[in-house]
Amino acid sequence: MRRQVPLALCFVFGVVMVLIEFSPHPYSKFLYNEVINWSLIITPFALVLGVATLVQTHWIRIRRRAEYWQYSFVVFIGMIVMVTIGIPFGPSHKAFAWLFKYIQTPMDATMFSLLAFFIASASYRAFRARTLEATLLLVAALIVMIGNAPIGDLIWNKIMPFGENLPSTARQWILENPNLSSRRGVILGVSLGVISQSIRIILGIERSYLGGGD
Amino acid sequence: MKPKSACLLGLILFFTCKIITLAQLSEFSSEEFRATDEITAGKPPAPPTNIKATDKKNDDGTHITISWTKSADDGNGANNVTSYNILRKSPESNFETITKTLIKTGKTDYTDDTVKRDKTYSYLVQAVTASGTTSNSEVTGAEATASWFHTGKKWLFLSVVLFSVVVIYSIYHARSGKNIFIRRIPGLEAVDEAIGRATEMGRSILYILGLGSVSNVATIASMNILSQVARRTADYETALRVPCNDPIVMNVVREMVKTAYLEGGHPDAYQEQDIFFLTESQFAYAAGVDGIMLREKPAAVFLQGTFFAESLILAETGNSVGAIQIAGTDKEHQLPFFIAACDYTLIGEELYAASAYLSREPMLLGSLKGQDYGKLMIFAAIVVGVILELIGVNWVTTFFDKVSN
Repeated sequence: MRRQVPLALCFVFGVVMVLIEFSPHPYSKFLYNEVINWSLIITPFALVLGVATLVQTHWIRIRRRAEYWQYSFVVFIGMIVMVTIGIPFGPSHKAFAWLFKYIQTPMDATMFSLLAFFIASASYRAFRARTLEATLLLVAALIVMIGNAPIGDLIWNKIMPFGENLPSTARQWILENPNLSSRRGVILGVSLGVISQSIRIILGIERSYLGGGD
Repeated sequence: MKPKSACLLGLILFFTCKIITLAQLSEFSSEEFRATDEITAGKPPAPPTNIKATDKKNDDGTHITISWTKSADDGNGANNVTSYNILRKSPESNFETITKTLIKTGKTDYTDDTVKRDKTYSYLVQAVTASGTTSNSEVTGAEATASWFHTGKKWLFLSVVLFSVVVIYSIYHARSGKNIFIRRIPGLEAVDEAIGRATEMGRSILYILGLGSVSNVATIASMNILSQVARRTADYETALRVPCNDPIVMNVVREMVKTAYLEGGHPDAYQEQDIFFLTESQFAYAAGVDGIMLREKPAAVFLQGTFFAESLILAETGNSVGAIQIAGTDKEHQLPFFIAACDYTLIGEELYAASAYLSREPMLLGSLKGQDYGKLMIFAAIVVGVILELIGVNWVTTFFDKVSN
């Protein structure tokens, strides 16, 4: 029974949600919105459990004096401040907006900006021309980079008597032909994989997500 | 009759006629067309003809399309029609203008998107001249109804049904126990190697499910892989750490891993606190996971699920701590980053095949076979489409264009 009920619910809702996709009737839309609303109800309960595990994890770190345990205090201070201001006054309150704008957003931007350095280090490893594939990747990347920078065309046109704006034309060709066709291949594979996986879940063949095999 | 009396009688008759005329005019203006506010200055133009109101197909019952043949005076001489106006009568109200701005000449249809489902409306089209003179077409009506099935999506529906039938047939065919050939996937072959390495080094395994919610199919695929990984870590008693971005995913994962440890016969090895919630914020999550990698230096890192800009931040940090990394995502934009930074990458559908590949369950493997038949059908359609397009026949491309729309 512990298994049968979730599997039956999964089958019914799976089939209904597929059919809704093909029906523009307002009743279908209503049903879709209802199901989405039901799923939203679960979130606050799960969030409470999530926050409880976060507190538990950092409390254990402080108690055991784990490496860099002091930073766990920063987590608690941040959480208490945001909750103290956010819950009674709401997210549009000036203090909450200030914290979001001047603390959270710059910290997010800092993490995002690290990406530039990581791209450089990953590219360095990936583009080392040790194999044919890596060499092709290196050549394609160089053309795309030169074609993307306006100065690439400028230099080419100055020093080469033929092929006006060749770097940007070559870049465009690479992006629109080999790159786009391989991306579409991946997208087709992913789409078929999603349908196949969905069928397995709807039919109850794939049930690992329920916790275990049979 | 005296001339004075005759004059008086004439005046009385004149005013009586005037009063009757005014009364008739006021009677007309109080009728249905009162709202048209017809300006009688100048000769009225020829009215639009062949007016038709049709309920829009494949909608939720909130659209009616009105079409007409343009006025004979449209772009023609002194009575030149410069625009059109649409008037609507609903069961509750009289005729009233529904067009916010006048419709330019040349256009002969208009979609009314302000109607209510299961109600009948009457329409008339008004031709308007530059001087403001108008003339009304005949009145027509239609009922706004909602469609249960979007006929424009019938080919898509049939494609989904056909593919589903192929997959289901392959699944049940696989039950016969016939050996199904599945090509070798290096990324999945390396799962045992990664777990073995972590066990030998005495370090943990870090499993990252990405930023997807539990309704995301890639996240479910990732959870299925985690289930297989957890069975192996239970056997080897290797620490498995799972930082989660979504609290619902965390709860499902806890239940899954717990069951895997129970079924593996090592319930005591299961550590609930190793599956924990970090944050829902994208970059805060990336920072948190990076911190775990740098502090704990896991021997193996699994990056499976939906990833966005944080993919390379995580993969490069994992690479810097010397972990063996197996990645897989449905986001094709992030695949190059994983290929550059990780040891093994599951590309596209390999992520969805992983659960079947690792468990070797015949029915799951059967679905992979069905998936391959689907790919074969698409490949055949592409080859046929390209050949036909090259010889100038474009019905295959037109058909797929219809399916996609």
